[in-house]
Amino acid sequence: MKARIQQLAEIDRLIHEPARLMVVALLAAVKEADFQYLHQSTGLTKGNLSVHLSKLEEAGYIAIEKTFRGKYPLTVCRLSDRGREVLDNYRKVIKAAL
Amino acid sequence: MMPNSLRSPADPSVMARRLIQRAHNRDGLPEIVLGVSFLLVAGLTYAQVMLPRESMGFKAAVVAFASLFPILCFASPWVLRWVRTRYLIGRSGYVVPKPISRKQIGIGLALAVLMTVTLFGIAPQLSQPNRWILAGTGLFGGGLAAFCGRLPRFVIGGLLMAAMGITVGLSGVSLETGFAILFGFQGILALTSGGVIFLRFIRGPIDPGE
Repeated sequence: MKARIQQLAEIDRLIHEPARLMVVALLAAVKEADFQYLHQSTGLTKGNLSVHLSKLEEAGYIAIEKTFRGKYPLTVCRLSDRGREVLDNYRKVIKAAL
Repeated sequence: MMPNSLRSPADPSVMARRLIQRAHNRDGLPEIVLGVSFLLVAGLTYAQVMLPRESMGFKAAVVAFASLFPILCFASPWVLRWVRTRYLIGRSGYVVPKPISRKQIGIGLALAVLMTVTLFGIAPQLSQPNRWILAGTGLFGGGLAAFCGRLPRFVIGGLLMAAMGITVGLSGVSLETGFAILFGFQGILALTSGGVIFLRFIRGPIDPGE
């Protein structure tokens, strides 16, 4: 029990932050989504979401691609393999501790 | 402001499902599609009651009814995605969902089998089976709507469907007429609710982009 709780100290703090966890969890549940969808779904402000996406991209947890759909510019985000691995690990640690 | 889903500790996948569900129903389009489907089912059921059995209209209604369910199942997600991507991308954003998992298909099939066995296997052995079948359909459909929708308006819609099922069952009408009334009611309810949500969604301001 003690060891399980101690595992919490090693939790990935980048993903543990609620807004980033929400973004990563959402991206894990879909194939890909654009900025607007994430903004609408999470309820985060655009500036806030943009900062969190940049941090997640820097860490290699998500991949961001700027593209167009017709005339509409899209910022498409996908969860990377690394991001999926980190999320799975996070889920395991939290479940074990709680 | 922090959304409600983050105020309590939750499994990330549960949280994601909740957010996706909310996003999916934000524009009211799924309810509009559901409402139109229910009204088609109700109309075709009623046509089979009203038309003479030997008429071309009756045969056409039977064929349309038989082919309606698979067409709706396959076409409705595609139609929804096309409308959103073509006309609403600026408002609702762009998303590619994951394909439906085998587990979800299995749950759907299990529920369909359970309902069929209960309604058409067990209910006919009871006295006044039509009443049980109609009330059971209302209760099952209402419960399913409330469980799958997970939003207050779906819970209210589910309760109304359950109440309507019981009312129609108690009224003593024939099975076909009862189904037509029940599905017609549910169709109008879903269409109205979806229409109101869609109008509110479409009248809202468009975000200028990131």
